[in-house]
Amino acid sequence: MKITVCIGSSCHIKGSRQVVEGLQRLIADNKLTDKVELAGTFCMGKCQQGVCVTVDDEFFSVNAEDVDGFFKNSVLPRVR
Amino acid sequence: MNDLCADIGYKSVNHFGEQLCGDHVDIVEQGENSTVVVLADGLGSGVKASILSTLTSKIISTMMSEGLSLEDCVETIAATLPICSVRGVAYSTFTIVHLINNTDAEIIEYDNPQVILLRGGSNYDYPRTEMNIGGKKIYKSVIRLNEDDIFVLMSDGCPHAGMGNVYDFGWKREEIITFMETFAEVGYTAKTLSTILVDECDRLYGNEPGDDATACVIRIRRREPMNILFGPPASRDDCNRMMSLFFSKEGKHIVCGGTTSTIAAKYLGKPIRASLNFDDPEVPPTAEIEGVDLVTEGVITINKVLTYARDYLSENKSYEHWSVKRDGASLICRLLFEEATDINFFVGRAINPAHQNPDLPINFSIKMNLVEELSKCLRQMGKKVKVVYF
Repeated sequence: MKITVCIGSSCHIKGSRQVVEGLQRLIADNKLTDKVELAGTFCMGKCQQGVCVTVDDEFFSVNAEDVDGFFKNSVLPRVR
Repeated sequence: MNDLCADIGYKSVNHFGEQLCGDHVDIVEQGENSTVVVLADGLGSGVKASILSTLTSKIISTMMSEGLSLEDCVETIAATLPICSVRGVAYSTFTIVHLINNTDAEIIEYDNPQVILLRGGSNYDYPRTEMNIGGKKIYKSVIRLNEDDIFVLMSDGCPHAGMGNVYDFGWKREEIITFMETFAEVGYTAKTLSTILVDECDRLYGNEPGDDATACVIRIRRREPMNILFGPPASRDDCNRMMSLFFSKEGKHIVCGGTTSTIAAKYLGKPIRASLNFDDPEVPPTAEIEGVDLVTEGVITINKVLTYARDYLSENKSYEHWSVKRDGASLICRLLFEEATDINFFVGRAINPAHQNPDLPINFSIKMNLVEELSKCLRQMGKKVKVVYF
């Protein structure tokens, strides 16, 4: 599985760093480093909906305050 | 004509408790490839010294760059400078370096510490001729320029550093040479080298300088073009034209901006690989595209570069940060401030609707303003800057 986080201007201001660091921590805590690949990308063209994240090819708008919730609801079910 | 050019930078610390500096550096360009640099040190310190040194350096640099003879300059100064009521003399020492066609340097020295020349990283003793002009003993030398020559001009506040404190007789010329030799081949800019030297003087004075101390460094280097792409063009139809003009330029290529780098990657037919390393929490990570030397985010990164540029021109306190860090802004700073001599900006005027939110500090007018301010700063650093809009 590949999770891509936008690190462009808009998403950066909206907290893409927190999202990236949150996901890095959660992936490590859940021992999923060999199953989930985390990558960055520049603008996905949906700046209004930032922080923009794709899981494989599905688009998600993630709130930087709730990375845990996103991980639990949208990432974990797909891995297992 | 050759492809050498001069990187000139200076820094001063004031006599402890003084608001004005009694040393003054003036740099005047004379046509395309000739420059006159004057470092003058006025008698005493404070406002009187400041007026004397400013007058001296302005008069000399203006007259020399207009092609008048040294004798005329010295006579004019002697006749113009106001006489100090306490000491009954009008006095300002000076050092002149006249760079001619980027091939020769004419050094003229009057009572300032002798100019240090580092060639190939070590001290080079150049011949000096003594002259007598209007009763003043003046030394003159003419030197053929080599790439990587470093000239260090100083006011006497530098060799007097630490006198009676760290050193009995101040910081000797030989010791200053040894000190500067260690930094000669690192590739620091003239501004940074002068900062390193003056900071060391300040330290030797125990941060309470007993005299104004100024160092001016002239580094002879090869021209180095640099190209920056910033923002997508206002009209989509111009993408290819903008990219082909940008990538056909000689020198390194920097691409700033998310959408911009997507366009560049598409033009080159190569993928973008974004990194996730937040080396500096304030600056978004960089990316890689084969064929591009550096790919960064746009507005936030450039804004940070502008902050560093302003600091570089004044206190130069953050060079310790940007000269070693790996974040996008620091990398751009090293390429622009240190490596580049000629900078071409390719600026796209497209408006990103997502940025026009009043809550975001990155709207269109801010973006255009950034380019203007940054090019102003780069020009002050002595770079040749061209800006093209699309």
